[in-house]
Order: sequence, then C-alpha cells, then structure tokens
Amino acid sequence: MEALANNLQVLFQGLALGSIYALVALGFVLIIRATNVVNFAQGDFAMLGGYAMILFTVGMPGNPELHIPGFAVHVPYGVAILLAAVVMAIIGLAFNYGVYYPLRNRSFLPVLISTLGASIFLQNTVLALFNPQPRPLDKLFNIDGVTIGGVFLDSQYLVILVFTILAVAFQYFFFEHTLIGKKLQATSQDKDMARLLGIPVTLMIIITFVYSAVLGGLAGMLVAPILFVSIGMGSTIALKAFAATIIGGFGDVAGAIVGGIIIGVIESFAAYYISVPYKDAYAFLALFLVLLFRPQGIFGEKVSEKA
Amino acid sequence: MRRLFLGCLATSIAAAVLSVPALAADTIKIGLVNETTGPNAEAGVYTVNGARLALEEINKAGGILGKQVELLLEDNQSTNPGTVLAYSKLAGEGVPAVIGPIRSTQTQAISPSVAKAGIPTMFGGTDPSLTHTGNPWLFRCRPNDSFSSLVIADFGVNTLKLKKWAIVHSTDAFGTGGMNALVQALKAYDITPVLVQGYTNNSQDFTPIVLAIKKAGADVIGSYMTNSPDVGIFAKQLRQLGLTTTWIGSPSVITETARNLAGPGLYGVYGIADFTPGASPEAKAYADKYKAKYNLEADVYSSWAYDAMNILARAINQAKGTNPEAIRKAILATCGYKGVEGAYCFDENGDGLSGYNIVRNDNGQIAFIKHINNPKK
Repeated sequence: MEALANNLQVLFQGLALGSIYALVALGFVLIIRATNVVNFAQGDFAMLGGYAMILFTVGMPGNPELHIPGFAVHVPYGVAILLAAVVMAIIGLAFNYGVYYPLRNRSFLPVLISTLGASIFLQNTVLALFNPQPRPLDKLFNIDGVTIGGVFLDSQYLVILVFTILAVAFQYFFFEHTLIGKKLQATSQDKDMARLLGIPVTLMIIITFVYSAVLGGLAGMLVAPILFVSIGMGSTIALKAFAATIIGGFGDVAGAIVGGIIIGVIESFAAYYISVPYKDAYAFLALFLVLLFRPQGIFGEKVSEKA
Repeated sequence: MRRLFLGCLATSIAAAVLSVPALAADTIKIGLVNETTGPNAEAGVYTVNGARLALEEINKAGGILGKQVELLLEDNQSTNPGTVLAYSKLAGEGVPAVIGPIRSTQTQAISPSVAKAGIPTMFGGTDPSLTHTGNPWLFRCRPNDSFSSLVIADFGVNTLKLKKWAIVHSTDAFGTGGMNALVQALKAYDITPVLVQGYTNNSQDFTPIVLAIKKAGADVIGSYMTNSPDVGIFAKQLRQLGLTTTWIGSPSVITETARNLAGPGLYGVYGIADFTPGASPEAKAYADKYKAKYNLEADVYSSWAYDAMNILARAINQAKGTNPEAIRKAILATCGYKGVEGAYCFDENGDGLSGYNIVRNDNGQIAFIKHINNPKK
C-alpha cells in the first residue's frame, strides 16, 4: 500500500515537472515553426516571468552602484500575474525587434548566436537590477496542498497541471479554429507563399515572439513558488524542454507536450528507483535513444521539410 | 561657497595638525590586508569595523607595550594578485604583524610571501590545509572545515542520542568532501549511516530522497548542501511528505537566504555556525558594542578580525617587544583566551579554534544551543 502511494507520489511529481518542461517546450516549438530557429533565451523568458512576479508582489531593491532606484509596488496576486504577462509581451516584442528582426534575412546560425547572446544579456541585466539572492514567491492559492491516500498533492503543482491542459486546449483552438491561427500556420510552413497570399508575415512573427514570451513567462510564474526565483532558474528547465522538443518531434506542438511529460516522468522514476545524482542522465539517455532509433522524434514526419 | 572653502581648509589644517603628533609619536602599526574594493567590498567593510573596534578598546586600555596602536589598511581588490601585492607592501613597511584575508584562496596566494616576510599573519580562511603547509607564520582565527563534520556527529550522537543517520549531500567538491568526513566522523561512534544520498546542484525535485529517508527509517539527517534553493526545496518537500526527522546541517541551512526561501520548512533545524551573538557573554557583549557603534548586526566577517586584533595585542604584550619570533611563540602559547568566536587554544599548526556553535532555527530566528569544542575524532 505504501509502495503504491510512493509510486503515485513519484508519478505526480514527474507529471508536474514534465508539464513545466512542456510549457517551455511549447514556446520553443512555436518559434522554431515561425522562424526555423531555436531560441536559446526561451528558458530566460521563464526566469523573467518569475522576476516580474517578484517585481509586482515584493518590489526590487535597486542598485545604487548603477544608479538604479528601487521599486516597490504591492498589487494583488492575480493583478500581478496580468501585469507580469504584459511585461512579458513587451519583452517578446522587444526580443523580436532586437534579436530576430535585424537578422531575419540571414541564415540559421547568426540568429541562433543572437538568441544565445540575448540569454546572457537578460540574465546579467536581471542580476544588476535585483541582487543575486534567490527569492521565494507565494503560491497562487493560500493552501500548501492536500494529502490523499498518503500522496501529497502540492496545490501549485495542481495549478500547473490544470494550466498546462488549458494552454494546450487554447493552443489547439487558436491554431485550428481562428483565422489568425491559420495565418500563423501558413507563415510557419512557407513564408514566401504566405507573403504572396497577402499574409503579413512580419506581424505573424511578432505575434509568435510575443506569444512565446508570455507562455514562457507564465511557466516561470507558475513554477516560481516551488523552485524559487533565481537568475539560473530558466537554464535547467530550458535544457530539459529542449530535449523534450527533440523527443516529441522537432517543431511539433503535440510532440512538445508529450516529450515534456515523458522527460519529467522518466527522470522522476529513475531518481526514485535507480539513482538521484544521475537522474538528468536518464532524461538525456531517453533523448539519445530517440535520436538513435527515431531521429525525427515521436510525432515528427519522416519527410524532411526543406530538403 | 567661500564659507565652505574656509570650512574645508580649517578642517584639513586641523586634521594635519592633529595627525602629525600621532604619526610622530612612537606607535605600533598592525597591517590589515582588506577587501575594500571589488565584489567582496561589503564584507571588507565589516572586517575593518571589527578590527577598528578592537583597536579602539586596546588603545583605551593603554595600547600595546605602552604605545598607541595604528591600523595600516591595504586594499586587495578582492583578488588573489591584489592580496599578494597588498601583503608585500605591508611587509615592506616593517609592520610586526598582519591581519590577512578571510578567503581561503587569498590566504593560499599569500602563503609564500608570508613565509618569506617571516611575520605573524592572522587569517580567516577555513580550508584545513592552509595551516598544514609547513608555514610557521600563519594563524587561523576561525574553526577550520575539518571540525564541521566532527561537530555535527558529536552533537547528533552525544547530545541528541540519535543513531540512525541519513546523509544528504550535494555531489560537488564541498558536498562530497563533507559527506566523506561525516561518514568518517560517525565511524568513531561505530555508526554506519542507513542512507547516504547525493544529488546534483539545482535539482528541481527531492521527492525520491525524501521517500528514501522515510524508507530507511532514519531518525536524523546530516546535510552538506551547497545552494540555498536546493535547501529550500528539500526542506519544504520533507515537511510536505510528513517527515519530522531531526536535521543537522552544514552552515547553508541557517543562512538568511535559505531561511527566507524555506520559511516554516526549516523551523527546528539545527545548523553549525562559527560566530553566534548568543554563544557566550563575550560574543553577546561584542554584538551589542558593534551594534551601538555601527548600527549593524555583527557577523563573522567582523568578529574574526576583532579576535585577531586582540590576540595580536596580547601576544605582542607578552612577547615584550616586536620581535616576530617572540610574537609567534606568544601566539602559539595562547590558550584559554575567550574571544568572541570562542575560546582560543592554538595548536602547533596555528589553528586557534577547534569547535563550532550549534544553533537552531526557532520560528525563523537563530537560537544558540551549545558550543562544541574539541569534538571526538
């Protein structure tokens, strides 16, 4: 009985962490589809989301050395999430114009390096604005969690699971059943053709960056009460999310979700049954096996899109 | 503007007039290699505060050898090369003794210069090997790291009477080293831990470790964890899954950041610390004086320098002169001196302290429990 409870506990943690990977992976996939580029700053969107929440719930101390004044506002949690989402949207817009747009006609590599540079820039900017100490953030609901049959369900993890399901449902509806969603799909499949058909490609790409930044930011806000807010919080998540993207199928939305969950559950059970220090290794072993036996990923199509 | 100028002029003349006799009179100058600029500048301020407070008291009590004492500050820019330069400059000025850095790496960097200069040098770095390189001029005013595991084992086994140990450690150099030392320390009590569990830094989930501790039936957890977020997540998950196991950790479990992150998750947890305001009448008096003078809470960055200054003053007085060899012998003979970090008794290697304070997190506040000196090896 206890063994069952323990296994369920491990499964629950795995699903919850997997959902976070999935949310970040979703952001990866959208940008890959729109621009054919991996955005290495995707994890930093999560970090920025976490810090935006700190900004609106606790404020920031400022940095006298750089003449940056402190900032203190205390708004209700729900309002803070909305404000943080707005901040993320603005960051997404700035990211598009600052990091992607100037290099849009260049090849894959310069844009990739540009996102890598943006990641370093964002982390150090936050370091200068806030101090390096990690910060706690309250949970969305004022209860720690519930214990059912010996399994502790963290309220924040439940929120994460529910949000992931909603995000996936929204994304499906948005892309399949709205005109703008279809325009976005057309843009990602063939930019030149989309442009010929009168679709504003530049605007579509802006929307993609804004949407990815908000989604990544929300992932960060959701996970912050559990993993705390720190400069490096996005990097670890992004690495797993990237692996999830490849396992699921490079650029496939359903694949990102499934890949994220798979990684979360594998590492959770591997840590419980085999070894805690090597749990990351099992997640990446899964990645290795997928690359070896099904390089296109679980949901990927075998035909290469741009042969 | 004119008045301001005249004011400045008057002040500078006054300063010049006042300082000339002080310089001209025969004083004893003690060197201080300090982090005045660079990333550790904040800690550097505290170190100077501690040394100055001691200096003031020494001078009020009649100085050293009947002479007033001065502090010669040299900035090391928080770097190793800076420390070497600063130390050489002080040695060149002919000071009889130096208070060196609190960082192990900087202490290691100046060790050859210290041996060459041949003047007693106090330091605060806690890497055990620093006093074991055959350099007779280095004296440590803090407990070294080799005592931390001995104190954790001593407190758990002798004071709390707990025998079923689970060790949780980071797999980095600090965590693995601490784990090995704790396993060794427990061996002295014929105890083999029921669980030794490593994790990589920045783990997002500690559920498997908590379940393993539960399964092993441990009644005490000893920990060497490096990063505060890991401490916070582990502490929360431990309590969420219903474990109330006693926990004695390396200093990372009682840092302000960890307490801030974990909240109630760390209540009741024991940690080891060197300077603790409540640990002794001396420590309490020091914390009060420090607060009154600087309006800051006293911490380890200031306390060790305060002790170092006082020990040097005592030693020079006992040596009845500034001959380095005589001062060295007097420092080594110091035993039973009650400093604010604890009672000093220098061993032949130059280690002044051999114990830690055990403190407990009582609803977020640090409470002193006991001081453990010379734990069983």
